[in-house]
Formats: sequence, C-alpha cells, structure tokens
Amino acid sequence: MELSTGGNGQQIILTGEMYKSITELLSELLIKTKSRIIVFADINGHAITQKGSTTGFNVNALAALAAGHFAATIEMSKLIGEKKRFKYIFHEGDEMNMYTCNVGDNFLLLVVFDVSIALGMIRIFSARTIKTLQELLAQNEDVDEKASDFLDIEFSTLLNQELDKSFNKYDL
Amino acid sequence: MFINWALQEINLKIVYYGPGLSGKTTNLLYIHNKLDPAERSDLITLKTREDRTLFFDFMQLEFGKIKNKRPKFNLYTIPGQSFYAESRKIILNGVDGIVFVADSQRARILNNLESLYDLEKNLAEYGKDLNDFPWIIQYNKRDLSDIEPIETLQSKLNAYQVPYFEAVAFQGKGVFITLKTIISQVIAYIQNKI
Repeated sequence: MELSTGGNGQQIILTGEMYKSITELLSELLIKTKSRIIVFADINGHAITQKGSTTGFNVNALAALAAGHFAATIEMSKLIGEKKRFKYIFHEGDEMNMYTCNVGDNFLLLVVFDVSIALGMIRIFSARTIKTLQELLAQNEDVDEKASDFLDIEFSTLLNQELDKSFNKYDL
Repeated sequence: MFINWALQEINLKIVYYGPGLSGKTTNLLYIHNKLDPAERSDLITLKTREDRTLFFDFMQLEFGKIKNKRPKFNLYTIPGQSFYAESRKIILNGVDGIVFVADSQRARILNNLESLYDLEKNLAEYGKDLNDFPWIIQYNKRDLSDIEPIETLQSKLNAYQVPYFEAVAFQGKGVFITLKTIISQVIAYIQNKI
C-alpha cells in the first residue's frame, strides 16, 4: 500500500517508493521538455516534489498560488456553463511561461519553461507524464500508515518545546 | 494535511477566518515580522489596490526537525468581504485548523455572526463540522473603546466552547498564543482522530 488520496482535502499520505517514482517521472519530463522547473503539488497547494533550477525559488508559495488559481478556474468554468473543468492553465510571459494541469482530482503539475519552447511540446509530454502519474497514483489508494503514527505524543511534546522557544519572547 | 513519508515531512494548513477588517492579515504580518526568517517563508499577499485581501495571504512556518520529522505549517487568510464567498470556500479546501478572528467592536457583532455562519456552511461542504474540528477564536481589537465584553462575545460566538484569546493584533498581543494553541489543537486532533 502506498498512497492515500482524499478528495475534498482529506489526508494524503505519500510513501517512499511512490515519492521516488514520482520524482523520476518529473526528471524525465524535465529532460524531454528542457523546461526550467517542474513542480508536483497536491490540490490544496502543498508542494510535494520538484525538479529543475529551484535554488532560491519559493516553491511552496508557487504551489499555494497555483492551487488557489486552479481552484478559482474550476469555479469560473462552472459560472460560464462549461460542463467539465478547464483542461489546463497557460501563463505566457516575455521570457518564461507556465503550464498548470491537474493530475486526477487531487494533484497538480506545474511546468515552468522558456518562451523558446513550444507549448504544444509541453502539452504532449506533460499529458504522457500525467497519464503515467495517474496510473501510479491509482495503484494503491489506501495506505497502512496513519497520520497518528507519524505524530506520536513525544513529537507533540517536543514540538511544543520548540514553539515555546521560538515564541516565548513575544506574548506567551 | 499532506505527509511525505520519504522526506519525513508533514504539511498542515491553518486558515485565519473572520469578517472583513477583523485583523486576519495583521496576525500574519506580525508573525512574519517577528519570526526568524529561517523559520518562515516570505509573506505572499494578494490584495486589492485599497490594501484589502483579494484572494488570500500565505506564509509557511518551519521549525526544523523534530524527532527527525519536519513539520510545516501553511498559514492562510481568507478575504473577509462578503462578495468573496467563492474564494473563501476554495481556501478552506484541505484545511486542518482554523483561527476565527472576531472583531470585538459592538458595531461588528452581526458581521462576526455572519462570518461564523459562512464558515460553518463552507466547512459542511467539505464534510467538516465545527463541533468536531480543531478551531479557536481570537477576539481582536481589545484596545478599542466601544467593544463588547468578553462574556457577550463568548455567549454569541462560542457555542462550541473552543479555546479563545483576547488580542490586539497590530501590537502583537495575543498573536503568538493564538498560533501556538491552534498548532497544538491540530496536532492533538490528528493524534486522537486520524
């Protein structure tokens, strides 16, 4: 059992093997498309893994903003009478473009690429990667691991100590 | 919540909810200004030209490794103005804990109630119930003159008897105890219920 995916923001748990496979798929896509950065995130905006030139780059903020934007476009599609959600979001810049697409109901793929690279190529290779990712993610939707196993009582005691250390100079 | 077992990371989403101008963004700004940059990301704010929250504010907190695990807390605010109803619903997707920032002013009691009702309704769409969910209340703007007594606010807004704190967010009063408490509540909820 490898992955728990929950609709509507339930817990999502990713195990080591699954993480490794996803990262490998992103690496392949990065090489094939010559894109700058690829981010795999959950639909709630948590960046899961990324490939490319991400040094000094706020991947977490990008994932949070992209997820918010993607969710907004779903609502917009409903408002204009589109029966399904939009297939992808494309942002075109002077130097960089960004392509965002959902991976099933619970994940997002973000591809940041140079304007010299054709969008068509990004779409074709991304679609293949997304198909493989979906097959991978669908293999096991239940996990044996539980969130409570991850966070035991000792963890919360130590976390509280850490928070006190960081916060107690203010108003605790 | 997102757990990456390979990296031993847990990502938790905490949303600051409440009526317009109650001080949600002010809480995040204070946290951002005070915390060591190593412990927090930049604060991303999506605001109107009038400095009102348009979509959300976002900041990630990270306090290093704890028992070899790396907890990350993603803090969001919602746009409080009533016509951003759809945006509020979107931001609640995947929420793990909520700080309801109430405005203590007498004139704002209805706005607080409307916002609380809106929260309850939006959470229900995600199958969540305020009666069984980690959330707390912060009564902000306690420095102003025409404010409701805490007992009145409690009787009107805190039917579920959740933890509450008085605050003057722009001065930082009550900001960190609120943050620490919601983090503890979220962790305890996960340990007991999930």
